[in-house]
Amino acid sequence: MKVRLVVNGVPHDADVPARRLLSDCLRHDLRLTGTHVGCEHGVCGACTVLLDGRPVRSCLLLAVSVDGQEITTVEGLAHDGALSPVQQAFADCHALQCGFCTPGFLTTITAGLRDNPHPTEEDAREMIAGNLCRCTGYQNIVAAVLKAAGP
Amino acid sequence: MKIAGEATLHAPIDRVWHALGDPAILASAIPGCERLEPAGPGTYLMTVTAGVASTEGTYSGTVRVYERQPQSSFAINANAAGVPGTLGTDVRVRLSEVDGSTLVSYDADAAVGGLIGGVGLRLLTTVLQKTADEFFAAVDNALTGNALTGNAPAARRAEAPAPRRFPPGVLVGAAAGFALGAIWGRRVR
Amino acid sequence: MTQLFGAPIPRREDRRFLTGAAGFLDDLGHDALAVALVRSPHAHARLVDIDVSGALDVAGLIAIYTYDDLAGALAEPLPLLIPHPALTHGRTAYALARDEVNHVGEPVAMVVARDRYLAEDAAERIVVSYEPLPAVVGIEAARRADRLVHDDVPGNVGANDTQAYGDVDAALASAPHRLSLDLAVERSASTPLETRGVLAEWDTESGRLRIWSSTQTATGLRAAVAAKLGLDLTNVEVITPDIGGGFGVKIVHPWPEELLVPMAARALGRPVKFTEDRGEHFVAAAHERAQLHHVEVGFDDEGRIVGLDVRFWHDHGAYTPYGVIIPIVTSTQLLGPYKPGAYRVEYDSLYTNTVIVTPYRGAGRPQGAFVMERTMDAIAHELGIDRAAVREMNFIQPDEMPYDFGLTFQDGRPLRYDSGDYPATLEKLKKLVGWDAFEMVREAARAEGRRVGIGLACYVEGTGVGPYEGGHVLIETSGKVKVATGLTTQGQGHQTVFAQIVADELGVPISDIEVVTGDTRRFPYAVGTFASRSAVMSGSAIALAARNVREKALRVAAEALEADVGDLEIVAGVVRVKGNPGAEIALGTVAVLSNPLRYAFDEASQAATQFVVGDPDKPPVADDDEPGLEGRDYYSPPHATFANGMHAVIVETDPDTAEIRILKYAVVHDCGNLINPRIVEGQIHGGVAQGVGGALYERMAYDEQGQLQNASFMDFLMPYVTEVPHGIDIDHLETPSPLNPLGVKGAGEAGVIPSAAVFASAIEDAEGVRITSMPISPSELFELRRTHEDRR
Repeated sequence: MKVRLVVNGVPHDADVPARRLLSDCLRHDLRLTGTHVGCEHGVCGACTVLLDGRPVRSCLLLAVSVDGQEITTVEGLAHDGALSPVQQAFADCHALQCGFCTPGFLTTITAGLRDNPHPTEEDAREMIAGNLCRCTGYQNIVAAVLKAAGP
Repeated sequence: MKIAGEATLHAPIDRVWHALGDPAILASAIPGCERLEPAGPGTYLMTVTAGVASTEGTYSGTVRVYERQPQSSFAINANAAGVPGTLGTDVRVRLSEVDGSTLVSYDADAAVGGLIGGVGLRLLTTVLQKTADEFFAAVDNALTGNALTGNAPAARRAEAPAPRRFPPGVLVGAAAGFALGAIWGRRVR
Repeated sequence: MTQLFGAPIPRREDRRFLTGAAGFLDDLGHDALAVALVRSPHAHARLVDIDVSGALDVAGLIAIYTYDDLAGALAEPLPLLIPHPALTHGRTAYALARDEVNHVGEPVAMVVARDRYLAEDAAERIVVSYEPLPAVVGIEAARRADRLVHDDVPGNVGANDTQAYGDVDAALASAPHRLSLDLAVERSASTPLETRGVLAEWDTESGRLRIWSSTQTATGLRAAVAAKLGLDLTNVEVITPDIGGGFGVKIVHPWPEELLVPMAARALGRPVKFTEDRGEHFVAAAHERAQLHHVEVGFDDEGRIVGLDVRFWHDHGAYTPYGVIIPIVTSTQLLGPYKPGAYRVEYDSLYTNTVIVTPYRGAGRPQGAFVMERTMDAIAHELGIDRAAVREMNFIQPDEMPYDFGLTFQDGRPLRYDSGDYPATLEKLKKLVGWDAFEMVREAARAEGRRVGIGLACYVEGTGVGPYEGGHVLIETSGKVKVATGLTTQGQGHQTVFAQIVADELGVPISDIEVVTGDTRRFPYAVGTFASRSAVMSGSAIALAARNVREKALRVAAEALEADVGDLEIVAGVVRVKGNPGAEIALGTVAVLSNPLRYAFDEASQAATQFVVGDPDKPPVADDDEPGLEGRDYYSPPHATFANGMHAVIVETDPDTAEIRILKYAVVHDCGNLINPRIVEGQIHGGVAQGVGGALYERMAYDEQGQLQNASFMDFLMPYVTEVPHGIDIDHLETPSPLNPLGVKGAGEAGVIPSAAVFASAIEDAEGVRITSMPISPSELFELRRTHEDRR
């Protein structure tokens, strides 16, 4: 089936079987490997992308079901080579170690801060409560959310 | 790699022996056979298109038939090559009469090389076995009067042609064709 | 140490991870054929037949391999990686099952197809016939041995061993007080966010194999693949891509897939890639932690242990590729920072029809810490003494270092603590968590109807085990510094930490330094990343290599500047004469001069050509010298260097629901000198999170038939941010290691080692019920309360 996905502002045409997951389509058909797959059952959040701005688990979506929609992946967060505030905060706060879960956190937090630009620490924890990380223990990720939100 | 098997053909032994020498029957029964020509005493050239799963190709080679014992047994040695790989094989075929039908038993020793040799023993033996089964089913259909394409009107069975005699060369070539077809024939989808 | 060593600088490698430009295994090999494995659904069965005919209908199927396709060394069992005399009945699996399967998930056939979806379609259509056999699940069943996992392993005992010092029987007999404890720890697993994966390319013309694998040991894998595939070592290359966490599970090698994928690449003449999925990882990778312990302890009126006798049973799963490393670590690290008068530890390492057991962060230490710390708490409770005071009574004192127990550690060398100040560490911890004032906190909570408790746990960790690691430092004519070491990286920040060391040793800006790890093309002699050893081993080797380069650079520069080596310094990549501005030469130019040339390749290199430079009466390259500005060196330790730490936690338990909340978590940690305190802290945070998981949430729920019932993230509960403490109070002590040039000790596993112990201690303190097994969930605590009530 033919689909058109607008990813990070760029239209991509692909011809994929109906059962192709969005995560696999992004990674293997469109060669955008920044989105990672940690569990393929929607629990870890590593595959989170923004679908028309909302965080979704790309491993639980079929590519054909999002035909024509706008998707933002981690590759679309920086602008003209400059890291976004969320990305920069992660670097400043040592909020990543192996980096595998990071793209899912970045997209989730980008959307989260857009909806709640001045989170409390509790809000920050809530914002990331659906993403798993095995390396960092989350302390520095919470700090990065607050840093990205700014003063 | 050893493959062995048998098939029952529903005709007496002399008709089976002749069928195995009938080029019209063989050319249709061998899955993927494109060409079968004599090339010297006891030797034949054959081209067949064959595949194992998605590794398909066209193979050309030489077949030699020996130790013929009419209406009883014969042996084949064949070697061929194609883009996906190579095949060498030795086959022994025996015919025996059982209640008006003929039991054909075969024993083959095959060596597969190149890419096609790397797809795994079980895939290879499974495909070879299936192809041999298909070949014999097609020959059986021809013997019992059913058209090979499956559109056999019952009337044709009643008008089955009388058995004919063929020059030894054609007979031998047909048996060689059978051997190659059984070992390599393309799996009919 | 000077500028960058010890500085909490931000990591230099982060950009690619933040922008989605990293290269993890599955990001590579887009044109490779895909793989799916057919795995046993039975925990124990005879393999009867494999019928592949159903798979033939799948378009895009290329190959199917079974045991019959394995030839030569590949047809023999997988290597037993670490033999040990006590491992009298070691067994390893075949790469694909031959006659029988011994755990759910054991690989039986491998499918290669055009893509992963088709490969799985084909795999599903393969019909395997089994004759199921009774399964042995759990330590009790293994011990009873009314069924065997392997017919030729009596009692399911793979190994039995004892280590001891002193006369423990006499000590126990004459001890003023005695206690017995029975303790249990359940299985958990490393569970990195990235599962396993391997990609192989075979160059038909040159007969060379290139492999990428998400492995913790590139050199180990290379050697195993060469041996199993009958290749010369120099015809095999192993490159580690970015790796999404390891935590121990990726040190096992060669996984069956790591042999089968290269085999397929060679047979098919095409690149082949395996990417494991999460469900597979639960049943086909490795677990750790399950042990049962029986303790007999004798002590005096002040709580000093006069005799400690530990008997334990270790569940190592269906096979023993990693030998008995974990029970050895438990046996020795159980002692912690203490010196019992006499000690004996005996273990049985047992087979069960479950996934293999190999190291997971901590690697047997959490179990050992649990045993010792529960024992300490029990002694304190028995005598009515403060739990911290009992521990202090038993500490090895700083002036007793080095302290040799007369036992053998997991590296085959003496268990000899080199340094550490346990009393000082405890002092810091008590202050940090508010130990002495806690009774007031408890009273205040009680007044509000709340139930709180405080716990504490101490551990010692042997880090930086050998045999060795190496470092290579090269200065290019551009002035760029290229650093390589053979061990691997899974998020530990090696590209920053090792650059910090070189920046200081050489006096170059860190932005000029590039570090490569885990690539056998760049550094072929190495061991791997495990046992908290990278900073100690590769850090030291890289420092030594950098020192060699520095020495040569100064020598060459001294000649060029007509100065004495002693008058030179290197600042910001420039060699200069101290106090003489203008008399200087850039390191890049030194690199040019260090390689006598016939042919210049650019303007700068003309300075090294034969008519420009060189003494016509001497050979251009001296007898004991080499061209170029590079150094290679190795660090090989006499034995491990011992870090230590202590954790304390304050918990609140809900009187009605038995839910457990963390109110405060404190860590005092001593890993010697810190290269980058921010990275060390990150390691502690991560370790504590895994510790919380292991103490309160994570277990492998096997049923009696050996089926893993919670083989997914939905049912295997890993901590989210909501489960970890709101902040961790961390303080450091630094007792430098005398064993390596940097004075560092390992830090990687510290956060997770005492967790089960510290939570047990705190929950017991809150509840007044004995906690003897971990993990503990609210429903288990609820049950414990009930039985405690019933007994009264």
